[in-house]
Order: sequence, then structure tokens, then C-alpha cells
Amino acid sequence: MGALRFAGITKFFGVVRALEPLDLDVAEGEFLTLLGPSGSGKTTVLNICAGYLAPTDGRLFVNGKDVTDIPPRSRNMGMVFQNYALFPHMNVGENVAYGLKAKQRPADEIKRRVDEALKKVQLSGLNLRAVGDLSGGQQQRVALARAMVIEPDILLMDEPLGALDRQLRKDVQLEIRRMHVANPKTTIYVTHDQEEALVMSDRIAVMRNGRIVQIGSARDLYQRPADSFVARFLGESNLLPGRVLSIAGYNAEIAVDGLESPVTGKAGNSLAVGKSASMLVRPEHVRHRPGGIPARVVEAIYLGELTALRLQIAGPSGGRLAIAESPPIELWSRQNNWAASVDDVVEIGWDSESVSVLPDVTT
Amino acid sequence: MSRIVSNAFAGLVAAFFVLPIFAIVPAAFNRASYIRLPPDDWSLRWWFVFFSDPSWRRALGNSLQVACLAAVLAVVVGVAAALGVARLRGKWRALVTGLLLGPAIVPVIVLAISLYGVVRSLGLLGTTTGLVLAHAMLGLPYVALNTSVSLGALDPKLKLAAAGLGADPLRIFRTVTLPQIVPGIVGGTIFSFVTSFDEVVLSVFLTSPSMKTLPVRMWEDIRVEYVPTVAVAATVMIILALGAGAASRLLFRR
Repeated sequence: MGALRFAGITKFFGVVRALEPLDLDVAEGEFLTLLGPSGSGKTTVLNICAGYLAPTDGRLFVNGKDVTDIPPRSRNMGMVFQNYALFPHMNVGENVAYGLKAKQRPADEIKRRVDEALKKVQLSGLNLRAVGDLSGGQQQRVALARAMVIEPDILLMDEPLGALDRQLRKDVQLEIRRMHVANPKTTIYVTHDQEEALVMSDRIAVMRNGRIVQIGSARDLYQRPADSFVARFLGESNLLPGRVLSIAGYNAEIAVDGLESPVTGKAGNSLAVGKSASMLVRPEHVRHRPGGIPARVVEAIYLGELTALRLQIAGPSGGRLAIAESPPIELWSRQNNWAASVDDVVEIGWDSESVSVLPDVTT
Repeated sequence: MSRIVSNAFAGLVAAFFVLPIFAIVPAAFNRASYIRLPPDDWSLRWWFVFFSDPSWRRALGNSLQVACLAAVLAVVVGVAAALGVARLRGKWRALVTGLLLGPAIVPVIVLAISLYGVVRSLGLLGTTTGLVLAHAMLGLPYVALNTSVSLGALDPKLKLAAAGLGADPLRIFRTVTLPQIVPGIVGGTIFSFVTSFDEVVLSVFLTSPSMKTLPVRMWEDIRVEYVPTVAVAATVMIILALGAGAASRLLFRR
């Protein structure tokens, strides 16, 4: 078991800064997900943590002990790799036993613990199976067992579900979550899949360009994203560009391009009056509202439990031809009981507490 | 129909490649002392001649000894070189790889002339040591290349995974790297064994009347006139080469 502290961890590859100075505490037993696009530095964080990469600057502490200069083999961390990195010339049992053999545990203890680990991941009795004969999901579970059997202080996972198909991914997400709840182990989980992050994490850190842009619970990040990048990365979002009119406390007022009246919403980080920004309203908050803004249905997609509508707001000229330079505003609505069809003109609206005003991020 | 045609064509191509190799075999079992296909009269006469002649037996023994020693030396140096090259980057890697492949690229006759000078100045001319060193040099590129290919196919994450599970570098080499590159090493070994075993040009320069290899002995005989014992020697060589190839296949059937 271990609490983890990154103190000013920085990484350069040549002259390229892969990781800005990172200060981060991960509590004992916490499941932290690093979420971000490829190249955002999340795997770099993981590799520095495991000791596969040396940071250019900064120190790493486990339970208050500086481990920065300790080689991977002495860190006692369990890593699950993206493509599992199972030893192809060993069978399932030998793969799982590898760490215990390296630590020179007695043979009877190894056998017992390997069997226990395989039971935990529901692969009992497959000890002698060649890893190449397993399905992707089974290989993934062998990798998990191999990492867990050494009872690591910290569990590290690098996009471990990336190679699985959608249904299997969902099952394994829940399985990992259940195992974590039953036996909380400090875990750092790297993914670019927002759904994985939402299902499993205690906290999510959204990364971009080698920096954590926002960290918090899934609820925090979804309801109060710091900027348009986080909003776009977590959940579906309508982001309508505009200009900040005023900021008052936690709220800001924005003039959205093409909307007649200004909109007020929760203010994101580092907004400035007069600067460009975006208004965020999630599709589930865009509703049918008589007397609201008129919009035309451009697309209607039936998704079973709900219907997604692509809507075009006509602009300030009120339904007449839009001015060539300002294209019509488009946004999505996702509702479960709104039967509109293509080319219908509907009136839409949203509650002001479901709106945020967020700074734009230029990538 | 097209299947029959393509199979027939493949058979023809195979025959074109393989038959000339085996054409010598019947001659080894001919009673007569000249080459005739097929033989008029089957006999093991020349096999008795071959194995009862001490000079043929010595040549075969020398060849086996030199080939084994050269292969062992080529493997030790070649595997070490391949492991070293794998750690190099950029132009150093290209440079060292080029040097390692040198003996396979330089015309053998050029190699033979320069080696003649070097080996003589070391006082190793006509010795087993001299020939073993020269043959090991010929085999080295095959071992290094084969091992490099296996190393290149090795997922670098496997080593990271092993290190993360607590294995020290020696254990990682023994349990992860080595098992993955053994097929390449064995392939390279057999190649360098066979290369040494049938090598003539270097051997002609570096052997002496008291230390001849089988191909040199054959070469000397056949230069004067054809004798059927050469066919026997050739058959022995074919059997050994095929045996080595088959052994590697059987050992590493995956």
C-alpha cells in the first residue's frame, strides 16, 4: 500500500518538454485516472512512476520515501501494459509466477499465490495454457493477475483495455472497479477513453500538452469543466463561440455569436472580459421550450433510450436568410421523449444553471 | 486444372534447384571408377576406400573439428556483437552493422589473400587455430544477423515488464531475452557450421599438406582426375549439411 507524491517532476525528451513540472498527491488506496489525448504526457507520468523513465527534474515519493533513483525492480509497483506484454514463451502460470520467482519465494508459496491470483481474475485452472491461445480478454486478465500477485504498493495501468472490443471493455471496467472497491490499492490508470475514466476513477486528471489542466471527481469535471478542452474531452458538449461581457463572482455573461440575447452561466478558469470564450450547454440540457429560441431540426437520430437532434438556430435575423459570414449556430439535443422530425421548426431553451462560460483553448 | 499446372511448375523449379545437388550421389555407389548415370553396377566399394584411407579420414576429421570450433567461436562473438549493436543508436549502429557484415560482402578471394598475409605473420599458417579463426570470421555475419533479427522482433516492453516484476538484468537476459533469440542463434550456428564445412577458397590458402580439410582434399584430387571417392566425400557432406538443417528444424518446431 502506498501514497504517492510527485514533487516538481519534469521530463524533457531532447529539447521537447514532455512534462511540465508536476506536483500531485495520490492518496493511499485512491484510483486516479490520467485522461488525455495521445502526446499529452500521461504515459510519461506512468513510466516515470514505474521507473522506466528518469525524470529530468523533480522527486517522486512513495509513502514519504524518495524513490526517484531506485530502479524499477526494487520499486514494487505492478504495471499492466497496453498490449499486456505477456511473456510469449511462458504459459499462463509461469507468466503470473514470474514476479514471485524473481523475488525467490518458495515454490509452494508461489503455487498457492498464483492459483489465488488466477482465481481472482476468473482464470482458475488455466495455468498450463499457452498465452497465445487465450482471447484478448483473458490475456488482459493474465496481465492483471501478473501485476497483482506481487502485491505491489502501487498498481499502474497503461490503456489496458485499448485492445478489447466494446462489450468486453465495459465488463472489464466494472470488474476492475469491483476489485478496487473490494481491495483498494493505489492505482494510476492511463486512458484516452472518457467512459473508462468515468466508470472507474475516484479522481480524474485531464492532461494536455504535458500538463494537468484539471483534476477532480468525475462529477466536478463534468459539471464544472475548467475550459472548453476539458468540456470536450469529458462527455458530449455544445460549445458556442462568443465574447465575455462581464464576470460577477462565479458567474459570467457571454454574447454568443449569432444569438440575440446574452447568456449567463457558471464561469470557468481565467476568463477575461472582452476576450473570446465559449458557452457550454450539454445536449441533455437542451430541451423543447415553448416561446424559446426557434431552431430547425437538421438531423434526428434514434438511439433507443433517447433521441439525438441536430438543431440549427437561425440567427438574429429570425428565420430569414442568415448573413453569409455568420453560419447558423448548430447544437445537439439528447432527450428521451422529444419526438421531432427533420425540418420541423421547434422552440428550444435551457436552464441557466446548466450553462458554463469557458475560456477557449488553442491547441 | 490450373492447380495441377502450378504444382507441376513448382515441381519443375524444385527439381531444377535440387537435382544437380543429388546428381553426385549415385556416382558414390558406382562400381566403376568413372561417373556414369545411372551406375551400371551398384557397390559400396568407394565407401570402403574412402573410410580406409587415413588421409580422407583425417580430412573429414579436420573439417568437422574446424567447423565445430569455428561455429562455437562465431556464436560467442556474433551473439555478443548483436547484443551490443542493439544498444547502439543512429550512425554508430549502421557503421558497426556494416563492419560486422563485411566478411559476407567482401569477395572471398580478396579475404583469402589478405588473411594469408595476416595468418602467416602470426605464425598460424597451416594450423587448425588459423583456419578456425578465419572460418569463424566468415560465420560471424550469419550469427550476428540472425540474432539481430530475433532481437529486433523482441518486444522491448517484455524487458520492462520483467524489470517491474523485480527481475535483475541477468535474470531478464536469462528468462526473457535468451529464450526469444535462441532460434536465431541456432540458425546462425548451423549456417556458420555449414559455411565452414564446405569452404574451399580460404582453406586452400590457409591449410598445409599436414592439415587439410575435406573440400581441400577433394579439390586437390579432382584437379588431377576424377576419382569416385570424391563422390563419396560429396555425399558425406550433403548428408551432414541436411542433417544439420533437419536437426535445427526438429529442435525448434513452433
